[in-house]
Amino acid sequence: MQQTVNNASLYRRPSIGRTIWQNKTLILMCLPAIVFFFVFCYMPMPGAYIAFTNFQYNKGIFDSPFVGFKNFEFLFISGQLGLLLKNTVLYNIAFIVLGNVVQLAFAILLNEVNSKPYKKTAQSIMFLPYFISDVLVSLLVYNLINYDYGFISNLVRSLGGEMPKVYQDANAWPYIIVFVNLWKSTGYGTVVYFASITGMDSSMMEAAQIDGANAWQRIRYITLPTLKPTVIILFLFAIGGILKGNFGLFYNLVGNNSMLFKTTDIIETYVYRSMMNSFNFSQSSAVGLFQSVVGFFIVLGANAFVKHLDPDYALF
Amino acid sequence: MKKLVALFLACAMLLSLIPAMADGIDTSEHVKIVYLVTGDKPSNRTDEILGKINELLTEKINAELEFRWIEWTDWQTQYNLALATQSGDIDLIGTATDWLDAWPNSQKGAFMPLSEEMLQTYAPKTWESVSQAHWDLCKYNGEIYLMPEDNYAQWTNHGFMYRQDWAREAGLENGVHSWADLAVYFQYVKENKPDVIPWDANGNGSSYSPQMAGGWQTSHTGNIAIEGFPVSIFYGESKDDPYTLSRYYIEGDELVNFAKEMKKWADAGYWRADVLNYTGDVAGEMEEGKTAAHQHHTQTWTGERTTMERKQPGSDLGFFWFGEEMGNLISLNITHGAMAVAAQSKHPERALMVYDLMRNDPEIYHLMQYGIEGEMYTVDENGRFSRPEGFEDSVDGVSFNFWWGRNDNLEFKNAQLDWDAIDALYAVYDSVKIDYPYGQYIYDNSMVGVFMDNLSNVYNTYMPRIVFGMNDDPEALVAEFRQALKDAGIEMVMTEIQGQLDAVYKK
Repeated sequence: MQQTVNNASLYRRPSIGRTIWQNKTLILMCLPAIVFFFVFCYMPMPGAYIAFTNFQYNKGIFDSPFVGFKNFEFLFISGQLGLLLKNTVLYNIAFIVLGNVVQLAFAILLNEVNSKPYKKTAQSIMFLPYFISDVLVSLLVYNLINYDYGFISNLVRSLGGEMPKVYQDANAWPYIIVFVNLWKSTGYGTVVYFASITGMDSSMMEAAQIDGANAWQRIRYITLPTLKPTVIILFLFAIGGILKGNFGLFYNLVGNNSMLFKTTDIIETYVYRSMMNSFNFSQSSAVGLFQSVVGFFIVLGANAFVKHLDPDYALF
Repeated sequence: MKKLVALFLACAMLLSLIPAMADGIDTSEHVKIVYLVTGDKPSNRTDEILGKINELLTEKINAELEFRWIEWTDWQTQYNLALATQSGDIDLIGTATDWLDAWPNSQKGAFMPLSEEMLQTYAPKTWESVSQAHWDLCKYNGEIYLMPEDNYAQWTNHGFMYRQDWAREAGLENGVHSWADLAVYFQYVKENKPDVIPWDANGNGSSYSPQMAGGWQTSHTGNIAIEGFPVSIFYGESKDDPYTLSRYYIEGDELVNFAKEMKKWADAGYWRADVLNYTGDVAGEMEEGKTAAHQHHTQTWTGERTTMERKQPGSDLGFFWFGEEMGNLISLNITHGAMAVAAQSKHPERALMVYDLMRNDPEIYHLMQYGIEGEMYTVDENGRFSRPEGFEDSVDGVSFNFWWGRNDNLEFKNAQLDWDAIDALYAVYDSVKIDYPYGQYIYDNSMVGVFMDNLSNVYNTYMPRIVFGMNDDPEALVAEFRQALKDAGIEMVMTEIQGQLDAVYKK
């Protein structure tokens, strides 16, 4: 008994104050992020209560009449929820899987290139689309593929071909949207992966080279395993937003062109279309809350799954 | 003890107020009144004029005015957001029952109820000039929320602007006076003006759906639109039976005819094939001679006619108004423009005083609407104003966007407009118009709001395809649209609205 107590006191955790003091520099560096998340994510959280009220402007969020789950009804009685969930989730899966694969591939390719100026230029050019607003992207796409005057349409016609009416063909749009999203996000993700490749211990690579491993083997047995934690963490982050669509991208590309809704309508665009004339803040918040809560449990589930496979890779 | 001190202080404060209040209104504190207005922040001489007006306001009532612009980009959302998140940061709000959701916002508590005493004391001239019958139209639950722009003649009924020079070439000697004429006009343009798109509609927005669909409807039936709904499918039967809801959107042939006709127009190429994703400036294109028509309202046409005469001489811009075939025309509701006081305003009294001056003080009114006399405009013997040579409104003008209390007693007509043409059209309007029959009715969204949102989605899903003929089988599409409306609960919603109408009008 005595022994156990002594052992426990030997390994007792240092006090919180001591931990903070010991890690003061680290904490100071984290402070902006902590403040950011506190101010923009945690402080507004009580406001989610608005989803359960009949919001009155003059009474404020907390004094408006409480209506329970009434604001959640409209999404469920619309008869559209199935289609919306399907589209939203499938697009997100495509974005996450394809996005990560392409980003990884580009990062590895960049790493294999030896010319530094080329690397820098390639990164910058790839990164550029990330900064172009969705409004401009939609104009670009329109001016490329619109039937009457589009650049590609004219090109096809001048070559004697027949241009399909893309803006009337719902089946074409999953490809277009996924492509545009890849075009926009690849540069950003590539830099993230490239950074963690650069952070790798170079002695491993040198040892492999001396042992005669070729480029493919080095990638397969060193680079990819080293990147595994990054991939898993990014995946866990991304999957929390699986029910959230990129409104700007979808709305700007598709607009009110209902011929394309079958394959392009996501929760956000539906909510916008239903409520753009009624400005029901409570109902739109209810949808947001629904998405966040589902996302939260999906993250918990995915994290538990990862933990089950390999505790080292789990987020928490 | 603390309580006693507080009580004493409160009493002292009250007492100190009494002498100042005795001789009327206390204006000892200089206050800033923030005016929420829709429009892009102007880069012309507005700020300079505002400075002059603020000197006058300070002198008269010790207050000054400040703008808070809701820019046109995403204005509906920004406007409603500003109202929802107000915290005493806005005082006066420009609003409207038809295009700025004045009633839903009153119901949501965005505006301050204005008692008769308040209006009599702080906005006496406005109180005097608005009739009791008109004040009654500004009430919700027995309280006044809006100060209406009820002494300003204008028409904002929609229709098509078209070039009468080309219409004459097309054999339409008297111009376009029906949808059938319009088809002839478009076909002529399509065949004879190779570089012109008959109507290069920017169908990406949502506004064409209600305008075009409602336009055909009022041109082919006696139906009358009822304002204030989140989705434009609720119409009264006719002027003889205004308080029975029309079943136009659920049954009957007219909507099918509309869909078929628009399909024909689409196939004939009167607009571009990808119209639903096109965002362009139609008015600008028309001024450059690249498109032959522009769909907007009468008030826009009055100015556009002059602009077009300058940029496309001889174009003789005409206006075909929706409802013309049936003589189906409703006078503008007096709350098409109105001013409200923000619910959280800290200075509602002074806000009312400022509004009273903006609306009724000739000096302030003329500065606000026209600028500095002699320098920015001159008035001729007929009471019409002219701008100096080379005057560009976007540089030399003044933009208060004061659409919430314009006053014909103080207005000057624009000498540059073509008043012969305008007055001729207004005379036609006056011969057929009826008063808006639903002024007393304010839709209550609490019972069927959820279904209304779903109807809104259905409408916004199908109507753009019907309006622009983007379908293979218009008859089938209308049938599908009607089924979707039924699934979304339109019968129930109509029963509820009919009940609300009956409660007001069939006592």
